[in-house]
Amino acid sequence: MARIELDRVSKRWGEVVALEPTSLAIENGEFVAVLGPSGCGKTTTLLLLAGIYHPSSGEIRFDGAPVNEVEAKDRNVGIVFQSYALYPHMTVRQNILFPLRFRHASAQEKDRRLAEAAALVQIESLLERLPNQLSGGQQQRVALARALIKAPQLLLLDEPLSNLDASLRLAMRSEIRRLQRRTGVTTILVTHDQIEATTMADRIVCMRHGRIEQIGTADELYGRPASLFVASFIGAPPINLIAGRAEDGAFKADGIALPVDGEARGDVILGVRPEGVSLGQGPLSAVVGEVEPMGRETLYVLETPLGTLRALEAGAQRSFGQGERIQLGFAASDTLLFDASSERRLPARVRLAS
Amino acid sequence: MSTAALPLADAPVDWHALAAQARFRRRLSTGLLYGAMALGALPVLVPYLWLVTVAFSGRTGATTFVLWRTLAVALPALVLASIVGLVIDDARRRRRGFLLIAAVTALILAFVAGPHLHLHNWRFLWNPDVADAMLGASGVGGKFPSVWTAFVNSLVLAGTQMALVVAVATLAGYYISRFAFSGRAVFLQGLLVLHAFPAMTLIIPIFLMMYWIGLQDTIAGVILVIAALELPFAIFVMKGFFDAVPWDIEMSAMTDGASRRQAFFHVVLPQVKVGMLAIAIFAFIRGWEEYVFVRTLLIAQENWTMSLYLFWTITDVMGVDYALVSAVGVFYVLPSVILYLLTQRYLTQMTFGGIKG
Repeated sequence: MARIELDRVSKRWGEVVALEPTSLAIENGEFVAVLGPSGCGKTTTLLLLAGIYHPSSGEIRFDGAPVNEVEAKDRNVGIVFQSYALYPHMTVRQNILFPLRFRHASAQEKDRRLAEAAALVQIESLLERLPNQLSGGQQQRVALARALIKAPQLLLLDEPLSNLDASLRLAMRSEIRRLQRRTGVTTILVTHDQIEATTMADRIVCMRHGRIEQIGTADELYGRPASLFVASFIGAPPINLIAGRAEDGAFKADGIALPVDGEARGDVILGVRPEGVSLGQGPLSAVVGEVEPMGRETLYVLETPLGTLRALEAGAQRSFGQGERIQLGFAASDTLLFDASSERRLPARVRLAS
Repeated sequence: MSTAALPLADAPVDWHALAAQARFRRRLSTGLLYGAMALGALPVLVPYLWLVTVAFSGRTGATTFVLWRTLAVALPALVLASIVGLVIDDARRRRRGFLLIAAVTALILAFVAGPHLHLHNWRFLWNPDVADAMLGASGVGGKFPSVWTAFVNSLVLAGTQMALVVAVATLAGYYISRFAFSGRAVFLQGLLVLHAFPAMTLIIPIFLMMYWIGLQDTIAGVILVIAALELPFAIFVMKGFFDAVPWDIEMSAMTDGASRRQAFFHVVLPQVKVGMLAIAIFAFIRGWEEYVFVRTLLIAQENWTMSLYLFWTITDVMGVDYALVSAVGVFYVLPSVILYLLTQRYLTQMTFGGIKG
């Protein structure tokens, strides 16, 4: 268990910058998700923390002490790779005990910890199997046990759920969360799946192109995204974006002018989430383009004077049919306004004058 | 709407005739295929048969009548066996057929060839004075070393060279596979060129170099030369095997507390065991059958290897004792054959597990 700090840490490979100078602090026992698309630098950050990569600049600190010079083998970090990286020529038992081989523990100590780790992930019956005789979920649990048996300071998970099928994913989500709560180990999860990040982590670090876009809880990233990228990355179906101009206190797009509460000037982008669009009442008229039933909710694709909007209706009743003309509205508090060039969120809301 | 009448077969289909046709065609094609392959295999196998039969039955000179009699019995037996194999479909009856043919053939061979077999050609195993028994003084000045000296020398040569090649190629292959260093691409291209290079052209320079270094006429000198010539191919093979080992498990081992070296030995090396075995066997066989460099660099009788021993058995002023030569030949080939038989199971086993995707 340790408090982890990254102080202006960067990583470059020759000309290519994998990670821009980044600063980040993770509290003891926290579960943090690093979220972002491929190539955003999240795996690089993970491997820098593990000690496999050495930072090009900056300092990494565990509990306040700089660990740049400390080798990977001495950092006591547990890591579960996306491919699980089990040793193919060793049984499950030997795989899990491998970290203890270099630690001079007595035989009883090893057996005790093996039993604990196996019980933690519920693989007691699989100890004599070889990795190629295990299913994906079982392999992952073995990898978890191997990472946890050394009581690590830090647990790193690289896209742990991406190789699992949907039902197993759900089960392992709560499983990993339960493990983290029970052991209290500081955990960093790297993923491109926002559902994984929002459901499992205490805080989310959203990254793009080697740079941190925003750090916050799931609620903060959802409701108060710092940039256009964060707003579009979080939330499925993705947020509706309408380009326009803000001048004289109004948002103007395609002949429509809506009053703006707050500071906004120049080219802007209005964001409204599909779940924030109220169907059936409001000042905006729209034609229903597509109706997509999704079981517990329905997604509508609507043609409006402001462009194509998506809206979600909870429940399975499907009030509107294709081709229908309906009214739309949204609350000012559900709107987000972004500067078009800097893509930062502006402290302003757009009202529908009703 | 008019319906066009499809011409349907009214007559009942004769399934038996169809099956018989298919059976005949299958037997014909299989027979022709195996016949062609057998014909192609004959020029390869008959020389070995020659070697073995003459080794056990020849008197000085090439008395080969035992060979022809053996062939006269074996070939019809083979033809009969293939007919049995084609015609009888039931596996158990087929096996019984084969066993019957094999037993009868063995019996006939015992009568035909048995009385002519003897071990006189194998006297070199216990009597080193082979030269005296030959038709005339050979070029060695009359005295031969014991074949066991040559055997041990060959073993030492092949074995040491194998160990050297495996050790160097494994480490080099790992480094080339895992690390980026300036000149890596050039090095790999150079390896290919070296492998394709005809080593014969280097005989004279190597002879001179060995003389200057002082390693001429020593087994150690030959070991170094042959190992060096075997290395490019071995490094290439090992690099390929290391490329196939995912980087993940090394990283995993390193975070599990292993140093780079420990990760290499405990985790990476077991994955390339098959590759190591393959190059070990190739290196051993190469060392065992090496002739050119051994002939060039070794002179003294104590340093002879099996290939030199065989050479001097052949080189005779007054005519060659082919029976003796074939016996020595069989003795020479035996270890290679045994090695192949023992290790071919391991060479064909490859397992990759524990890494998803």
